Order: sequence, then C-alpha cells, then structure tokens
Amino acid sequence: MNRRTFLNWGTAGIAALCAGVAVSLAAVVRFLTPSVFYEPPQMFKIGNAADFSFGPPTFLAEEKIFVFRDREKGFAIASAVCTHLGCTVGYFQTDGRFHCPCHGSVFGADGKVEHGPAPRPLEWFEVTLARDGQLSVDKDRVVPAAYRLMV
Amino acid sequence: MNPIRDAWQSIFRRDPLSTDKGKSELVFLNVWLHIHPAKVKKENLKVKHTFYLGFITFYLFLILVTTGVALMFYYRPHPPQAYQDMKDLEYVVYLGTFLRNMHRWAAHGMVICVFLHMCRVFYTGSYKRPRQFNWVIGVFLFLLTLGLSFTGYLLPWDQLAFWAITVGTNIGSYAPLVGGRIRELLLGGHSVGESALLRFYVLHVAVLPSVMILLTMVHFWRVRKDGGLSRPVWKLKAESAAKVVTIGAPAEPAFRVVPASKDKTYGLMEVVTGKPIFETVSAEEEEDTVFSYPYAFFREAIALVATVISVMAVSLFWNAPLEEMANPVKTPNPAKAPWYFLGLQELVSHSALLGGVVVPALAVLALVAIPYLDPNPSRRPADRKWAIRAFAAFAIVNVVLIIIGTLFRGPGWALVPPWVHISGAE
Ligand code: HEM
Ligand code: FES
Repeated sequence: MNRRTFLNWGTAGIAALCAGVAVSLAAVVRFLTPSVFYEPPQMFKIGNAADFSFGPPTFLAEEKIFVFRDREKGFAIASAVCTHLGCTVGYFQTDGRFHCPCHGSVFGADGKVEHGPAPRPLEWFEVTLARDGQLSVDKDRVVPAAYRLMV
Repeated sequence: MNPIRDAWQSIFRRDPLSTDKGKSELVFLNVWLHIHPAKVKKENLKVKHTFYLGFITFYLFLILVTTGVALMFYYRPHPPQAYQDMKDLEYVVYLGTFLRNMHRWAAHGMVICVFLHMCRVFYTGSYKRPRQFNWVIGVFLFLLTLGLSFTGYLLPWDQLAFWAITVGTNIGSYAPLVGGRIRELLLGGHSVGESALLRFYVLHVAVLPSVMILLTMVHFWRVRKDGGLSRPVWKLKAESAAKVVTIGAPAEPAFRVVPASKDKTYGLMEVVTGKPIFETVSAEEEEDTVFSYPYAFFREAIALVATVISVMAVSLFWNAPLEEMANPVKTPNPAKAPWYFLGLQELVSHSALLGGVVVPALAVLALVAIPYLDPNPSRRPADRKWAIRAFAAFAIVNVVLIIIGTLFRGPGWALVPPWVHISGAE
C-alpha cells in the first residue's frame, strides 16, 4: 500500500466513523423521544355549555384550565399553567387577575403579564363544539386571547 | 495434597511471605498499593492540606451505592406504587427508615463535600500544571453529583419531589432552541408523570452512577499520574515557587518521535521523550516520605470510619422528609427546587433566561476553563490574592443565594424571614 492509498482509505475510514457516530446519536435521540404519551390527552371534552355559569371562570383542576363564559362573547379557555416555571395559577375574584403562588407572577384577565418573572402571557386554547353537543378543548391549539366560541 | 491450601492459593496467587518473591508480590498484587504510590510525602497526609474532602466525598458515594442498592429491593418506579413503597420503607420494612435516611443525608453531604473539595483544590492552586485536566474531570464529577441528587429527588413521588422537579425541569426548558426538546427527552412527556419517573429512575440507578464510577477512576488515576497530591501551600517557598510548578508535562517540543535508545530499559510506544511528567523528588525531600502502607491507609481508614459513623448518627436522629403523595393539581406555595438549585431558582425568579441558562452556562464554562485561563504559575496564596478573592466571591454568592432561597422565601416567593410565621400559607 502506498502513501496515497493509505491516506485515501484513512480519510474514508474516518469519514465513515464520523457518519456512523452521527447516525447513532440521531438514533439515540429519536429512541428517547416518546412516540406514545402516557399522560392525560391534550384534547378532551369538558361537558355541555349549560354546565358553566356566567361570571367568574370555572377552574378545572385535572385539566389545568379556566373556562370563561360571557353572555355576549361566549366561551374562552385559559391555561392555568404559569409560563414562568409551570406552577398552577389561581384566579382571584377580588382583583380579576391570575396570581402564581411560586414566584409571584400576576396575569391580567386577558392573560397578559402584569407583574413578576413570567416571560409570556398565559395561553388560550381552542374550544369547539363536538358532535355530541359537548365543548371540546384542544391544548395543542393555542389561540389569540380574543378567540371566543359563541354557543 | 492439601485442598485448603490449594483453595487459598487459587484465590491469593502469591508465594509464601517467607520468600522474597512473596514479600514483593504482597505489594505488587495489592490494588490499593496500585492506586497509591509506595511512598508518599509526609506533608501530604496533613489534614489541613486536603481536609480529606476528596476521600470523604468518595466514601459518601460508597455509602450511597450500598444503601441505594438496598432501597432498590423495595422500590417500584411507577406512580402511585413509588410513593406507597416510601411509606412501606418508613413503616413496615425492617431498617427501612434508617436506610432511607442514610441515603438522603449522604446525598446532601456529598453535594456539600464535593463543593468544599473543589474550593480546597482551588485555594491550594492544585489545578495548575500538570493537574489542569484533573480539575476538568473534577468539574464533571461535580455536575454528575448534582445530576444524581436531582434525579433521586423525584423518586419518592411526594409533593416536594413532584414540584421540585416540575420547577427544576422548567428552568432547563429556557435554554434557547434545545431547551424544550431536552425537557421532553428527560421527562418522556410534556409534564412530570409516569414516564418521567421511570426515566429519572434509570438515570439515577444505572446511567449516572456508571459514568460517575468511570470518571472517579480516571480522577484517582490522574492524581497518581500527576505525581501524587500537590505540595501543601505552606511548603512553597517564594523564590523557588515558580520552579516547583513549572516541572510537569514537557512544555515545548511536546512530542517528538525518537527511536528507542539502547540504554533505555523500557519505552512508551517510542514516542514520549523529555522529563518525566511528575514532580521530581530531591534527596532531602526523600527523607520526608513515609510508606503509604500503613501511614496513608490508616488515615484514609479513619476518614472512612468517621464518615460512616457521622452519616449513621445523623440518620438516627433526623428523618428524611416525606410529604403527601404527588398531586399535579395542587401547587404548594411556595414551590421550591432542591436546595442546591435554590440559588438558581432565586436568579430565575428575576429572569428565567438570564438566571436559568446564561449565568449557569457561563459559570460551568468558567469553571472548566479556570486552569487554562489562569496565567499565574505560582501556587502560593500570597501570589494569587485576586484569584482567591474572585473564587471566594463566587462561592459566597452561591451560598448566600441558596440561603435566601431556602430560608427567606415564603408564599408567592415573597421575602419573608424564617422566624415570621404566615398563617393561611400551605
Ligand atoms: C465525585 C466527586 C469527587 C471525588 C470522589 C473526588 C475525589 C478526590 C480524591 C480522593 C482526591 C485526593 C485528595 C483529596 O482528598 O483532596 C482528589 C484530588 C483532586 N481533585 Fe477531586 N474528587 C471529586 C470532585 C472534584 C472536583 C469537583 C474537582 C474540581 C473541580 C476536583 C479536582 C481535584 C484535583 C485537581 C485533585 C488533585 C489535588 C491535589 O493534587 O492537591 N475533584 N479528588
Ligand atoms: S412559576 Fe409562576 S411565577 Fe414562577
């Protein structure tokens, strides 16, 4: 084997090795990425429109959402998960705002950050009417705060 | 025919001690004398040089492995059994509480000791040539220690665990681009749930300990290969200080291939030339050395016994906390990360990106780079006032932030002194 063949084969070998490592790494990342989620579904039904009263929002603890119902405007769903570090915020009727117990973030009624370390407003989720007449919420679909479902 | 003697000699393959060969084999075949040099400098055995902190950290790790394996016999990494198993350990398993206490307190102790060990290595300037790389390995050992504590924190599956990990992993998700993805890979989902518990368990009992053991071996091997422990700082004389530290890996023409010469009795793949990389010992220093066995061994054994007894004593009197079962619906107020991350959380409560990502990333980078950026060859504290002040500032800021986060943060993360009781707070 002469110098040139040696270098050629050597380069090819090293390139193959690098490619192999890259592919393996990608495979590891993909392997660790869950294909099935063993957790509550992102899309679920919350009941009939008549179950919800007008006025202050209803808090659904399991789903971590607030259901707003307004006589003129209709339904809106706010996330109860603080955008700072994921604690569950509470709605205070006294000032009409969301307060986070963890680091004191305060969100306005429209979800905008008014105080504290939260970097983004609370999320609003799409709510639609399912065939059976129930309200259906999809947490994978984030909508603008102005989104409303009139029932 | 003597089966007993045969059996004995099949285990200990050494000639009888009455022979010279047997005597030397006693030394050569002993793994502890393999890790230690035959002789060590007396001054290096002094408690005030190392405080034996590296050893204590290692012993705590051994305690953690032992008690951890014991706990594994009774632990199922799945909600809600995980929590029930904790209750079983507490109330029905013989010695369960004690073992759990030992595991918990040794884990806290290890975080503290590894940090103090790092401070002592910095203070004595022991990260300087030729020990730069061992410092870098040390930084990874430090991060691994934190990783082990963090993954272990979730396993009891109580409120404390659940919310600490919720808050902790959310800190990570602020890393630009990859943050959310890393969180998803770590949790195996969008939130802390059964997949997260299983993943943390596997990391905690298999992946991280293996890496830890591997790196610890490299760490010890490097201590030996770097010429044993550094000289205590009080032995460094002003004028010769520079000389002492420049002995080390050959500075220039680093590697030169030379044919093995005839007077060399051994070779290292025929490529390594120059001075040996360990510090050379002069004749007068030779007198200051003692045999590792028994002098170093004895002291290390004392440190071991003291460590084990201390952990046992603490475990007799203080129980590891266990709150209600994890409840994703109810956030405790305030929700806190594990204490060693409370400094981080304190920063994060001001700015998530800056405090949660930028500052810690820079801190780790700075730690790794210290031995390569410090231009000062001297190890004498008198010559490195500013380095020591800077590191002390780093350590103190850390400690103060952790104390604030632990003791002075009440509901809503408001500043509350620990002696004030807030009624109505959960
Ligand atoms: C799991 C964690 C660790 C263990 C078990 C460990 C263990 C040890 C032991 C047993 C020694 C011998 C002397 C002594 O007791 O001080 C040592 C020395 C050393 N360690 Fe560590 N260590 C750990 C983490 C670290 C960290 C975080 C650093 C620094 C970032 C570090 C850097 C060093 C250096 C540079 C030496 C040589 C010191 C000298 O020559 O004086 N180690 N380590
Ligand atoms: S999690 Fe809500 S303010 Fe930090």
